[in-house]
Amino acid sequence: MITYLGRCSWVTPLGCDVDDVWRRMNADERAPLSSITDSDIGREYFVHRISAEAARTLANHPRLRRVSAISRFAATAGLAALEGTNLPLERIALVFAISNGGVIYTRRFYAEIAKANTASPLLFPETVFNAPASHLAAILGLTGASYTVVGDGAVGVSALKLAEDLLHTIDIDACLVVGAEEIDPLVCEAYRRWHLLCHPPASKTGMTLSEGAGAVLLTRSEQEFRVSAIDHGTNYFRRSELPAKMRRVAANLACPPGVGSANGTFLDDAEEKAFGQVLYSPKKFLGESVGASVLWQLIAALQFLRNAAGLAEISAIATGVNQQLGGFSLAR
Amino acid sequence: MKSAPEPPLSRRVAIVGAGIVSPLGFGLAEADEALRSGQDRVAPVTSFSVDKTRCKTAAAVDDTRLLEGRRTRRERRLHRVSHMVVDALDELLQTSGNFQPQIAIVGTTSGGMTFGERFYRSLAQEDSRAPGWIANYPPQKAIVDALEKFSIDAPVQVIANACASGTNAIGQAFAAIRAGRYDRVLTGGYDAISELVFVGFDSLQASTPEKIRPFDAERSGMVLGEGAALLALEEWDMASARDAEILGEIVGYGISTDNHHLTQPNPDGNGARRAMQGALETAGLAPEKIGYINAHGTATLFNDAAEGKAISELFDQVPVSSTKGMMGHSLGAAGAIEALFSLIALRGQFLPPNINFRSADQPLAIIANEAREADFEYALSNSFGFGGTNASIILRKVDA
Repeated sequence: MITYLGRCSWVTPLGCDVDDVWRRMNADERAPLSSITDSDIGREYFVHRISAEAARTLANHPRLRRVSAISRFAATAGLAALEGTNLPLERIALVFAISNGGVIYTRRFYAEIAKANTASPLLFPETVFNAPASHLAAILGLTGASYTVVGDGAVGVSALKLAEDLLHTIDIDACLVVGAEEIDPLVCEAYRRWHLLCHPPASKTGMTLSEGAGAVLLTRSEQEFRVSAIDHGTNYFRRSELPAKMRRVAANLACPPGVGSANGTFLDDAEEKAFGQVLYSPKKFLGESVGASVLWQLIAALQFLRNAAGLAEISAIATGVNQQLGGFSLAR
Repeated sequence: MKSAPEPPLSRRVAIVGAGIVSPLGFGLAEADEALRSGQDRVAPVTSFSVDKTRCKTAAAVDDTRLLEGRRTRRERRLHRVSHMVVDALDELLQTSGNFQPQIAIVGTTSGGMTFGERFYRSLAQEDSRAPGWIANYPPQKAIVDALEKFSIDAPVQVIANACASGTNAIGQAFAAIRAGRYDRVLTGGYDAISELVFVGFDSLQASTPEKIRPFDAERSGMVLGEGAALLALEEWDMASARDAEILGEIVGYGISTDNHHLTQPNPDGNGARRAMQGALETAGLAPEKIGYINAHGTATLFNDAAEGKAISELFDQVPVSSTKGMMGHSLGAAGAIEALFSLIALRGQFLPPNINFRSADQPLAIIANEAREADFEYALSNSFGFGGTNASIILRKVDA
């Protein structure tokens, strides 16, 4: 059975139109930096956010009244990926990739606990990892299989693999794969203390966090492009193992990788050691969106296939900063 | 044109190893003994303040035993949930021989959340331990740590479907082997009690200041538990060919999504019923073949009403118990722990009790307060979670 790529969509700090964002990335346009401040500790962080203009166009639905930003990003991307499909909803599964999840509500909820040992019941349900997937399923009316998978910046590969497994194991026509992330100063501070955050002017290396979502419909109906390989990869226990494990993943893909996940951290050096160069990375333009990043890599790879003359196949390596890596290949 | 599905495979799935750490003990033997004697391991919470919560109790894994012997610097940096998974995997590997999974599919809801809590509380100062808490807090870390401990090189797929995570993980592992996607999968679930989750359920008034009484007419809510349980699943013929000891068989899996509400099941029991029906259909079984149901049974008003309705409509007086009365609700670990409790019950041909039970408000055959012997071949285990995720699996007894 062949897994085809249906419609895809993204919500990024450079915009939400796939072709327009791609054009701007090709013109070397970087998502604008904005600053957020942690009011508790008074520290400022530089991040890539969804613009206020784009935020006004995000999906609207009664189910999204009280939700955290991540659910809005995911709903917007998910709805766009399903636009125009005439598949019966009960024959579509949902797989959702996530890393930090609804961290804005999680921080607010725990802040209340830390102050008063008690907290609002309105916040807690949104802290659960599968809350965004639940909202999306409810908005779309999906009633079958729905899975949220959690991990680091490579979690999207896990989601793609699970979606492909579902297409092979249960009687469905398609699987909507969504990855999403939101930004909160708490996450910025965590990566700063982990020495992974770019924090100008004090540091010029490290990653810049971003927010948004990506979505793709994997389907059994014939389309122009297909998934030709997904390597679920492995875990790396020490950073020194990474180049060899990257090469191992690459060997299981359909062609040498053209898209990587360089984000300004140790991942860049590992890619250079593994492949002799730092691979093209959408994170250079859009930032590190962790749970959404593999979906953004997939859309970038697909845009190469669509637009590069003579290119029939392309592979991507996805590596997270917390021990996971994998990869995938797409073909015409 | 639609890509043709591959010819339907229906390979059998053997359980060739298992390991468990829960408030009912370390290992399958201790769990067996505790289930037979209806132990109540719910106790006052001491690891954080419960001054302002209604609920004051939970069922915790014994830290004295869990942490003893963890002497290396690396071991001391790990979260206690990682130690639970390491111990469960240790037992599994002892029972399964040299089990080399192609993938680990596990469920959790919050992993090492207490490290995240410590990090939050340390924000005001530059605590040198913070990087360690951050690196070891993510939900996938516990299974990655356990794989590293035993030098197992396999990718992980961490399912976070709230309280159904563990059952979803086992179910997906079963479905993937059955369809020929994998031959050997390590599966299960884990979770540890944290202040955030404890206060969360308390804020929703889902947890109780009283005894937890699943399916009781006067039930008033759940209490939290924790633990880790892992199963080694292998394609049946391959397991037989290498003379592996087969502990049991997984024969059915059903999953449904109930869009009624983020935290409450549809009161008509539709989501639960569809999950159980899906498991029966996969297994090719009529409902009367099921000899025991390990219910989700959280003891909340809404869950037990919806689940009880679905069970009573689908089954005719099948013995039912919720083992959460003994050890609370271990969230992402619950489905995996209860799958192993069902396996223990099948192997020992007894029905684990639904403790703290006084009177029924639904037409269910509750196994009230005491375990009893039984002769049965199939057990069904339910897990339902926030977000309307519903999952059921069916296990079969295998004669020694």
